[in-house]
Amino acid sequence: MRNIRLLTAIALTASIAGLSSFSAYAQQYAAVDTTNQPLSNEVCATCHGGEGQGNPVVGGPSLAGLEPWYLRKQLENFRAGIRGSQKDYIPGNEMQASVARLSDAEIDDLVNTIAGWKVIENDHTIEGDLSNGESLYANCAACHGADGEGNEALGAPGLVGRNDWYMFRQIKLFKSGYRGVHPDDTAGKLMRPSTQALKSDQDVNDVLAYINSLDR
Amino acid sequence: MKKFVSRREILGLIAKAGASGAVLQASNALGIVPDSYVDIPKIPPADPSNRPSVVVLGAGVAGLTAALELKKAGYSVVVLEAAGRAGGRNMTVRHGDLIDEVGNPQICDFDDEPHMYFNAGPARIPSSHRNVLHYCKELGVELEFFINENKETYIQDDAMLDGKPIKNREFTTNARGFMAEIMAKNFTNAELDQPFDQWEVEALMRALRRMGDLDEDMLYKGSTRGGYSHGGFLEHGHAHEAVALRDLLKTDLFSMALSQNEGETGPMLFQPVGGMDQIIKGYLRKLPDEVFYNVMVTSVMLQNDGIEVVYEHKGIKYKIEADYCFNSIPTHLMTGIDNNFSADYKEAMAYPRRGEAYKSAFQAKERFWEKDDIFGGISWTNQPIEQIWYPPHGMYKEKGIILSAYNYGGGMHFTQLTQEERIETAIRQGEKVHPNYRNLVEKGITIAWHRMNHMLGCSARWQKSRSGFTQEEERLFQTLRQPAGNRHYTIGDQITKHTAWQESAILSAHWAINDMLARKSGGAMPGQRV
Ligand SMILES: Cc1cc2nc3c(=O)[nH]c(=O)nc-3n(C[C@H](O)[C@H](O)[C@H](O)COP(=O)(O)OP(=O)(O)OC[C@H]3O[C@@H](n4cnc5c(N)ncnc54)[C@H](O)[C@@H]3O)c2cc1C
Ligand code: HEC
Ligand code: HEC
Repeated sequence: MRNIRLLTAIALTASIAGLSSFSAYAQQYAAVDTTNQPLSNEVCATCHGGEGQGNPVVGGPSLAGLEPWYLRKQLENFRAGIRGSQKDYIPGNEMQASVARLSDAEIDDLVNTIAGWKVIENDHTIEGDLSNGESLYANCAACHGADGEGNEALGAPGLVGRNDWYMFRQIKLFKSGYRGVHPDDTAGKLMRPSTQALKSDQDVNDVLAYINSLDR
Repeated sequence: MKKFVSRREILGLIAKAGASGAVLQASNALGIVPDSYVDIPKIPPADPSNRPSVVVLGAGVAGLTAALELKKAGYSVVVLEAAGRAGGRNMTVRHGDLIDEVGNPQICDFDDEPHMYFNAGPARIPSSHRNVLHYCKELGVELEFFINENKETYIQDDAMLDGKPIKNREFTTNARGFMAEIMAKNFTNAELDQPFDQWEVEALMRALRRMGDLDEDMLYKGSTRGGYSHGGFLEHGHAHEAVALRDLLKTDLFSMALSQNEGETGPMLFQPVGGMDQIIKGYLRKLPDEVFYNVMVTSVMLQNDGIEVVYEHKGIKYKIEADYCFNSIPTHLMTGIDNNFSADYKEAMAYPRRGEAYKSAFQAKERFWEKDDIFGGISWTNQPIEQIWYPPHGMYKEKGIILSAYNYGGGMHFTQLTQEERIETAIRQGEKVHPNYRNLVEKGITIAWHRMNHMLGCSARWQKSRSGFTQEEERLFQTLRQPAGNRHYTIGDQITKHTAWQESAILSAHWAINDMLARKSGGAMPGQRV
C-alpha cells in the first residue's frame, strides 16, 4: 500500500487572493494587526471553481480564457454596481459584494493572474437544434464574430468555450432587464436588443448549441 | 382591576385556537427527536509496515472524527483544510478573530476575556446527541448547561399589544389559561359520548384547573403566575391584568410559544465551557500533526487503486495520493472542483441547495438583561432578527456577548445588506424588545453563512417539499452516500437525513468508516447499504 506522498509543485500560479484580500482587510481594519490572520485564499475560486473552471451550483462561470479587457470591464462594472446590484438577483448580488472593495491595483493583479490560468474545456450541458441555432446566430455574428471569437472594438466578448448554462442565464438576464439597463452600461445596452431575436427558451438553447459547436 | 374576558369572546375564538392546535401538532411532528446511539467503528489495527493511507478533505467535525478514529487504528492520515482554521461551521468568534465572509471580512473587536465569545455556528448540544457527548468526554471537553427556554424573556410582535414586548411567562400563562378553559368547557360535551367515570372526570378537571390556573367556575380570569405588576414580598402581590386571548392570537408566535423548545431545542441543553470550538481544540490535541491549513483542494481523481488529490497552497499546487478519501467539502463547492466521478454521482452532488442562515452579535456594555431577571434563554420577535439570545454563562460579570439576530430559515434579507445596514437593522429591531438597546450594545459582528468563504451555505437542503424526500431525492441521496469507485466517501451532515447537527456529521463519518471496513474485508453485502 502507498504511504501518503507530498509530490513537488506541479504548477505555479501567483496567489491572487493573497493580493486582493489583504489590502481590503488592511484598509478597513488598519488598527487591527492582521499578520497572523488566515486570509481569504483563492477567494475567487470558492465560487468560480478550484481551477477557475466554473461552478454551476454556485453560479460562478469559468474565468479562465476571458479576454483581459472584458474581464477588467466586468470587474469594474460589478464594483461600481453597474452589474449585479439588483437585490433580488442573488448570484449577481453575491458577485457584486465579493469585489465591491477591490482597488484599481488589485483589479490589475487579478486580470494579470487570470490571464495565466489554464483554459479547461467546459462540459456542454445544453442540447438544441443546430440548424435553427445557426440561423439565429446571424443576429449575433455582427458583434461576437462569425466564429464567436468576439470583438474588442465593440466590447463584445468571445462566446466560444464559455459555460453554456451561464450564457443561458445571461441572455435571460439581458431579456428581462437585469443586465444591460444601467445608464452607465453602454456595452450592455448594445447587447440587450439582440436578445429579442430569441423568442423562447428553445431558441436560446438552439443558439447556444450552435455556439458550442464552434471551435475555439 | 382585572379585565374580564367574555365567554362569548372565548367561544368565538375556539375555532381559531383549534386551528393553531393543528399548527402545533404539525410543528411537533417536524421536531421529532431522532434516535442516536454510540457505536464507535471497530477498526482492526493496521499493519505498521503497510499502513493504509487516507486523505481527509475538510477539518470540520466530520473530517476530524474520521481522522481521529482512523489514526487510532494506525492508518496514515492527512487532513486538508482550505481555511486558516479548523472547525468549519463549528466556529467560535473572539477578540481578534477573522470572520471570513467574501466581500465583507470582519475582525472581531470584543474585549479579550474568556466569557466574551460568540458561537457563530453551532451553539447547542441536546442531551440526545450521544455521540457529540461521547467525544466531549473522550477529548476532555468540559460542558455546562445551556439555557434555551427561559420564561423571563420576551415575545414581541408589531401586530400584538401595540408592538410592546410581553414577558414570555405572562404570555404563556394567559395562553394556557384560556386553552384550559376551552378544554374544560368542551369536555362536558365530549363526556356524553365517552364512558368516563366520575373520578376520571374530576381528575381531568383538576388538572385543567391547575394547568390554566382557572377559578371555581373553570374560568380563566388572570393568574399571578404571569408575574406581579407590583408587590409580592412585603406587600400583597398584584397580578398583571389578563391579556385577552384575541390579543395573543394576533401573533404567529402564539403557536411557537407553546410548541417550541421540545427535544433538540428543549429548555435545557449543553454547551462547552468557553465556546463550541473547544470540541475542535479537543480533536486537534489528538491530531497535532495531521491537519494542514490554507490548502484548497482543486482536484479529486479516482485512480485504479486509490485516489489522487491536488491542492493549492500559496499559489503552488501539490499532489497527494492515498488509498481512500473522506470528503466533507460541501457538495455545492465540490461541483466546482475538478473530478472524474460518474455522471450520477455528479448529478447527486449538484442537487442539495445552499442554506441561508444568518447570525449576528453585539458586545453589551452592561448585562442589562440581568436587571430584567433574564439569565439565559431566548426572546422572540416577528421581525427579521427573530431571536435575541442571552448568554447562560458569565453571570454578573461586567459585560457579555448577546446574540442580536438568528434567522435559520431565511437569512437572505440580512445577507444582502452592507455591514453598516446589518448592524443598524439589528439595533432598530432590538430596540423594540429592549428600550435603550442602542446605547447598551457595541462592536457588532455578523455572520452570513451563505457568503462565508469555503462554505457558502449553512447546511445542505435536500428536500424541496416539507412533506419529506421524494423518490427522486432518495435516489440522489443514496447515490451520493455510496463510495465513488469504492475509494471516495462523501461525509458530513450533508449526507444525513438530519442536516445541521454536529451529531449527524459524526455519524456520517462512522457510517463511511464502517462501509469501508465491510468492503475491505470482502464482507460487502449484495445491493446497497441504507
Ligand atoms: C448557524 C448554524 C447553527 C447551527 N447550530 C447547531 C447547533 O446548535 N448544534 C449542532 O450540533 N449543530 C449546529 N449546526 C450544524 C453544525 O455546525 C454542522 O452540522 C457541523 O458543524 C457540520 O460539520 P461537517 O464536518 O459536516 O462540515 P463543515 O464543518 O462544514 O466542514 C467542511 C470543511 O470543508 C472545508 N472546505 C471547503 N472547501 C474546501 C476545499 N476546496 N479544500 C479543502 N477544504 C475545504 C471547509 O472550510 C470546512 O472546514 C449549526 C450550523 C449553523 C451554520
Ligand atoms: C460569492 C461567490 C463569488 C465570488 C467570491 C466571486 N465571484 Fe465572480 N461571479 C459569481 C457569480 C455567481 C457570477 C455570475 C453573476 C451573474 O449571473 O450575473 C460571477 C461573475 C463573474 C464575472 C463575469 C463573467 C462574465 O463572463 O461576464 C467575472 C469576471 C467574475 N465573476 C470574476 C470574479 C473574480 C476575479 C473574483 C475574485 C476576486 C470573483 N469573481 C469572486 C460569484 C462569485
Ligand atoms: C450589437 C452588438 C451585439 C450583438 C448583435 C449581440 N451581442 Fe452579445 N454582447 C455584446 C456586448 C457588447 C456584450 C458585453 C456586455 C457587457 O460588457 O456587459 C455582449 C455580451 C453577451 C453575453 C454575455 C457574455 C458574458 O460573459 O457574460 C452573451 C451570452 C451574449 N452577448 C450572447 C449574444 C447572443 C447569443 C447574441 C445573438 C442572439 C448576441 N449576443 C448579440 C454585443 C452584442
